[in-house]
Amino acid sequence: MQRSLFFLVILGSALLVALAWAENPQVPITESGVVAHGPVRVGNLPPVIAPADNPQTSAKILLGKKVYFDTRLSKDNTVSCATCHDPSKGWSDSGPTSKGINSQMGGRRSPPVVNAAHSRLQFWDGRAPTLEEQAKGPIQNPIEMGNTHDAMLRTLNDIPGYVTEFKSVFGTSPITVDQVAQAIAAFERTVVTTDSPFDRFVQGDVSALTPLEKQGLEIFNGKGHCSACHWGGQLSDGRFHNLGVEPIEPGKPDEGRRAVTKSERDFGAFKTPTIRDVAARAPYLHTGKEQTLEDVVRLYNRGGGPEDANLDPMMLPLGLSETEIKALVAFMTRAMTSTNPEVADVKPIPAAELPK
Amino acid sequence: MKRLTLLIVSALTLLVLLPEPSQAIPALARKYGFNCNMCHTSFTKLNDYGQRFRDNGYQQPGQEGLEKTVFETFPPISLRTSTGLMIMHEPDSKSTTSGFHLNGLDLLAAGVMHKNISFLMIYTPRIDEPRAGYASVGSMDPSQPGALESANLVFSNLVQDVLSLRVGRFEPGYQAISSKRSYYLLQPYEVYEFSTPGNNFVFADNQIGIEATGHFREGIKYAAGIVNGSGANPDNNNAKDLYANVSKTFGRGEGQSSGQRVGAFGYLGWVPTSLMVPFSGATGDGDGKINKSFYRIGGHASLNYNTFNLQALFMYGSDDKAIGPVRAVSQGKYHFTGGFGRLDWAALPNNRMVASAMFNWITPPDFDKSSRVRAISTLVRYYLGDWTAVNVALHGEYTYRETGYTTIAKQHQFAALLDFDF
Ligand code: HEC
Ligand code: HEC
Repeated sequence: MQRSLFFLVILGSALLVALAWAENPQVPITESGVVAHGPVRVGNLPPVIAPADNPQTSAKILLGKKVYFDTRLSKDNTVSCATCHDPSKGWSDSGPTSKGINSQMGGRRSPPVVNAAHSRLQFWDGRAPTLEEQAKGPIQNPIEMGNTHDAMLRTLNDIPGYVTEFKSVFGTSPITVDQVAQAIAAFERTVVTTDSPFDRFVQGDVSALTPLEKQGLEIFNGKGHCSACHWGGQLSDGRFHNLGVEPIEPGKPDEGRRAVTKSERDFGAFKTPTIRDVAARAPYLHTGKEQTLEDVVRLYNRGGGPEDANLDPMMLPLGLSETEIKALVAFMTRAMTSTNPEVADVKPIPAAELPK
Repeated sequence: MKRLTLLIVSALTLLVLLPEPSQAIPALARKYGFNCNMCHTSFTKLNDYGQRFRDNGYQQPGQEGLEKTVFETFPPISLRTSTGLMIMHEPDSKSTTSGFHLNGLDLLAAGVMHKNISFLMIYTPRIDEPRAGYASVGSMDPSQPGALESANLVFSNLVQDVLSLRVGRFEPGYQAISSKRSYYLLQPYEVYEFSTPGNNFVFADNQIGIEATGHFREGIKYAAGIVNGSGANPDNNNAKDLYANVSKTFGRGEGQSSGQRVGAFGYLGWVPTSLMVPFSGATGDGDGKINKSFYRIGGHASLNYNTFNLQALFMYGSDDKAIGPVRAVSQGKYHFTGGFGRLDWAALPNNRMVASAMFNWITPPDFDKSSRVRAISTLVRYYLGDWTAVNVALHGEYTYRETGYTTIAKQHQFAALLDFDF
């Protein structure tokens, strides 16, 4: 009897240790900045955690929203963040790649800003580690907003409305680039979606998905091995893969992640995008070359695009039937489309209502 | 004492049932909440993704070092067993036997211990009961000896993709088409099970030793190993057996569920024909040296079209004359041919149902015609539910088997089983 009691205590404590271990919230990060704890079950998104040096306040969020929709950030007052990350186009644009000032075409598709707050690394190649860092990029990019930080700051500091608002949010003036970036990032951290039929299904509402969508989820998580890369609440591993996608200009491949890591393994590899709200933002991939979700699934069914050099080893022909293709598309269409009103109802702020 | 056992058993059961353990084997799927068909065309057959996952030491291809290790997850333990009704009919003797069947229990564990270091263990516990009443039904006997079927360590990507090592007891790479991951529960690959007179070597057996594997561009893969030899008595076996298997897949894929794979294998082994200790009675033809050689060579193919997969293997085997019992001078080496062809079809979304037909043959030398085998088999498996990491399949399997040549023994075998794995 005593022995079994002893045994029980040992077992019990072992279990407790294991449990504590499993629930350890610390997410290990590798040198290159991607998470190291492997695939996580697809499911709901956790709340967004703002960095300690940029806490969320409602005044800051509103200010960030104004800046986001303000074309005065660009050199010729024609382009705002929303030009390329338009709430009505799934927080992306109509593509294929995005059009900046003077109608110049960029080299990559505009990724969605919705749920970008959940990405570990920003940009297709992950070159920005935070939203704050990211937001500074487009302003100076010659073919996006074509401005310089100094010129933009001069513009903003000449607008008394902004000077007052920034002062009341950050407590200092004049306005700095970091403050602009922090305000935008604070706004972006509210552009997150947590409620889709898929989310309700995960929470136990079995009627939230149609039979076809359920089949799609089963294939996403099974035969299609989509969740090998599109995993966790974000349905993205936040890592970089080469799908063998044809370059926009034949013979001029985009080196992708290699530009950041300088590692040949990363040649032509791009960040896995989230599947959330994917239906609203056609066309697809970093090239914007695939017109519909069905086109994307057919690309996977062939084992990826035609470029063999450095193809990700997880890219394999899938043998999906027409029904299975339909099911996957159905799952990614209605089931993954969010209904969060606070995000769905975001309307551009008309120029007349922006600070003067 | 009984209570203690009960306690341990229930604690272990609890551990197994707790959520979130590790990947490759239901426990591995559980780790990530994957559906089994991520890795299996349908359980138990590996698809291309599963094949690459296994080849990469149970790590996601290209993602080494970016996953949880077994130390960060629950014990990666899985169980497999099947139960159901089996009927055997022998038309010659007009005998029919039938019984409810409990097909062995396997305990499996696998996981990653450190970047590029993983392990696999398969243990079949000894089962003495239930046995009563089965004695006359041959292969329906549900008792099993205890065995450590597999226990190996895998060191992956030692030299990029071209060298990984597996050490311990493992499923050797010369078995180009895995018998362990065949849909058929009752009908084996006959040529894998065939043992020639005086030779304990069985192609299907797992082996103890070391194996190198790797893959190159253009879909070329190899496996080469050095092992004790199946059925070998290590005390009387100074010669190790050698093997190699090379395959090429045309098109993208691994040939399991896409791409077209062809390959060739060879196995060279030595069998002691006399014992080191004085022993009265003939082993071998009496004047044999201590070790005499035998070999198996062959080719294999796995072809895919939509959700159809055709796998075929041909084998030629030859044993030194000294290995078998004393034979007439005119009877030379023991040589045979054998093989199988199998066509699988995965139907219904997410491959919920599979149907398969298979032909097996063994053609022995003229002086041993009674060992001739011809068998045709067919099966249907239907998977219930789309649970992650739990598989329950309804399994129906039928085989018609003929053995012998001048007098042919016929057998009809039918089984309806529930196969489960979690
Ligand atoms: C001219 C079009 C254009 C404008 C204007 C623009 N962006 Fe972008 N945005 C892009 C493109 C294209 C990318 C991807 C570039 C890359 O990865 O190399 C991108 C990437 C991003 C990302 C990273 C998303 C991810 O998943 O990696 C965020 C966040 C973002 N932009 C926010 C903004 C903000 C905030 C502004 C305004 C300050 C802005 N963008 C202005 C086109 C634009
Ligand atoms: C090897 C990892 C991997 C696997 C497996 C994978 N994806 Fe992707 N997915 C990616 C990456 C990386 C991209 C972006 C690639 C690019 O633009 O070059 C992407 C892009 C997409 C896009 C386009 C999203 C957008 O905003 O442009 C969709 C839709 C998609 N995947 C769905 C799927 C489906 C469905 C499956 C399963 C059939 C799947 N993925 C399997 C990594 C993967």
